[in-house]
Amino acid sequence: MKITRLTLWNVPLTSHETYYMASGKTCDTVETVVLKIDTDAGIVGWGEVCPIPHYLPAYARGVAPAIAEMAPVILGADPIGPAALMAAMDAHLPGHVFAKSPVDMAAWDLTGKAAGLPLYALLGGRQSDTLPLYHSITCIAPEKMADIARDAFASGIRQFQVKLGADNNWEADVARLVQVRAAVGDGPIVYGDWNCGASRLDATRVARAVRHLDVMIEQPCATLEDCAAVRASSGLPMKLDELAHDTASLLEAHRLGIMDAVALKLSKFGGVTALARARDLCLHLGAKMCIEDTWGSDIATAAALHVGAATPASRVLNVCDLSGYVAPRLDPRAPVRQAGVIRPPTGPGLGVEPDETALGAPQLVLE
Amino acid sequence: MKITRITVFHVDLPLEYPYWLSGGRLKFDVLDATLVKIETDARVTGWGEGTPWGHTYVPAHGPGIRAGIETLAPFILGLDPRRVLDVERAMDLALPGHLYAKSPIDMACWDIAGQAAGLPIADLMGGGSRSPKPIASSVGAKTVEETREVLKRYRDRGYVAHSVKIGGDVDRDVARIRDVETHRPKGEIILYDVNRGWSRQQALRVMQATEELRVMFEQPGETLDDIAALRPLHSAPVSVDESLVTLQDAARIARDGLAEVFGIKLNRVGGLTKAARIRDIALAHGIDMFVMATGGSVLADTEALHLAATIPDHAVHAVWACQDMLTRDIAGGRGPRNIDGHLHLPEAPGLGVHPDEDALGAPVARYELTQ
Repeated sequence: MKITRLTLWNVPLTSHETYYMASGKTCDTVETVVLKIDTDAGIVGWGEVCPIPHYLPAYARGVAPAIAEMAPVILGADPIGPAALMAAMDAHLPGHVFAKSPVDMAAWDLTGKAAGLPLYALLGGRQSDTLPLYHSITCIAPEKMADIARDAFASGIRQFQVKLGADNNWEADVARLVQVRAAVGDGPIVYGDWNCGASRLDATRVARAVRHLDVMIEQPCATLEDCAAVRASSGLPMKLDELAHDTASLLEAHRLGIMDAVALKLSKFGGVTALARARDLCLHLGAKMCIEDTWGSDIATAAALHVGAATPASRVLNVCDLSGYVAPRLDPRAPVRQAGVIRPPTGPGLGVEPDETALGAPQLVLE
Repeated sequence: MKITRITVFHVDLPLEYPYWLSGGRLKFDVLDATLVKIETDARVTGWGEGTPWGHTYVPAHGPGIRAGIETLAPFILGLDPRRVLDVERAMDLALPGHLYAKSPIDMACWDIAGQAAGLPIADLMGGGSRSPKPIASSVGAKTVEETREVLKRYRDRGYVAHSVKIGGDVDRDVARIRDVETHRPKGEIILYDVNRGWSRQQALRVMQATEELRVMFEQPGETLDDIAALRPLHSAPVSVDESLVTLQDAARIARDGLAEVFGIKLNRVGGLTKAARIRDIALAHGIDMFVMATGGSVLADTEALHLAATIPDHAVHAVWACQDMLTRDIAGGRGPRNIDGHLHLPEAPGLGVHPDEDALGAPVARYELTQ
């Protein structure tokens, strides 16, 4: 099989509710990049990457130039067995993993379709029927966040990510954690996420103020050393996200003893191939995994659900129904949350088929 | 003063001789250069350049610079370009990482700030040495004989600093180093540049076999972890180049004692503003420096020359003249040129050299401040 054509669309995704994080980061309307790979066998593969602006070293308008740069090694290549294609792309253009992620995703879609198997079967087999979802609570007034938590709890959600730091007020951050913890009662997991936006001092004060509670701290500061200091001074368990993005950073975070949980995001690592590698390493290191992507709609969501379904259930912290946070849906038949859990698609490949006519005119076609 | 317009040009700069990167990475014969013109409401215009060394060398490519500027432009228009730290912060908030796309903007802002102050950039940064800076050659030969020939060609043109590219074959590397050292004139600076081309065992074998020669190696492994692992097993001075990207990298290298020399490449580290901090880490820890462009025209060479001039002479070994490897000159012979193997700091305010705009072709993008 040979890749004959690459088609890219930029599709604006609008959040149902505007979402506030530390350091002024938001995602109200963001561009997602949808990739279709055509082959000489007549089957097509789909990929998607949706960088949140100002969040990671990734941006929507950087995807097309990088894919165009790599086109000479993608066009004509065999997409079956995506690791070989990814190795050729890595040799041609180092880095730029966010732009490689949709190519890898689409190659896995094609590989699954060629085999007539859902992606989770190719990644080691389905290990759980349903996958637990978390609900991310935007950083607003503490009592309003507690209300959101109660509503989500009533819908079946049992995992709550509390965004912190948007107003640079450490006492408000304490109130957020205390009130959300109280709102959902004992048992459900609650974790406070600064998205790297806190100083070591502020994060330490907040963490020490809530250390009598059953809460986890996520990615408080911008370096692993600062995160380790917050962990050491508070004794609270810690989840990492932004600073855990490749094999070396996973090993370093584990060495520092600050990776009780970790967010494995497709575009942060560079696609399904890289994420499966990180998953295997985390099985060895012991970290529980949140398996998702930075943002996106049905294609990115489906890809992450397949990786989640092919991971031992005891090690899956949660997954995310990103496509449920935004409009429009790229494939209205794709999975949705039910009572706090979600299931992966079961069709061949990714098992989602975007409605091409709804995507508008492509931004780039390479043949 | 406000930035009112950003104009982007894409220029191909052909190499006189095609270049093969070590480790089987691709051959290329043209550099993809991005020239950026920043205009202000004060009729001062600055120029920046970002030219990666091909797309297979480090995570940087020409189209990525132009796409990055498209995303950054709305956050830069309207800012005062003389306040380079404000511009830096605006860019870092707008787009994490992608330092190579930010460096031409930073460079053009420094050019404007220098012109506004009536000072060369080096003087505006605190003081520029006027000592001519040795230009490092780039000796990409394969065999002992070819290495001799290329070195002679450079020496005949006055070069006293050389970057001899090695890596890939242990016996050949050892033979070439021995031969170069046997014929090395007194006072010459020679750096053996591995460009990440060794595995750990290859590095150990060459470094141990040449131990008595007291030579210096650049980037003898792929990562800082590799360089750190080798560290206790040899006694040669080491320069870090590709693995020196962020201030955190510089802090780690200095703290853990991983190298005696920094290879600071302006485009890779994000421009003069960020490079100046890496320079200060080096000076605070007794680390010497090579300061260079990643590639490009006389503009990129000149940017690096300004930073080199802010370093005490004893701590800066050499600069580079990528311009000498090109068959196309976008500045009509103006700006610092190779004189007996050295570059001289320009005395004109700002960068001290601008391109012939007519020679750049039509701009590929233009971003304007809307009132």
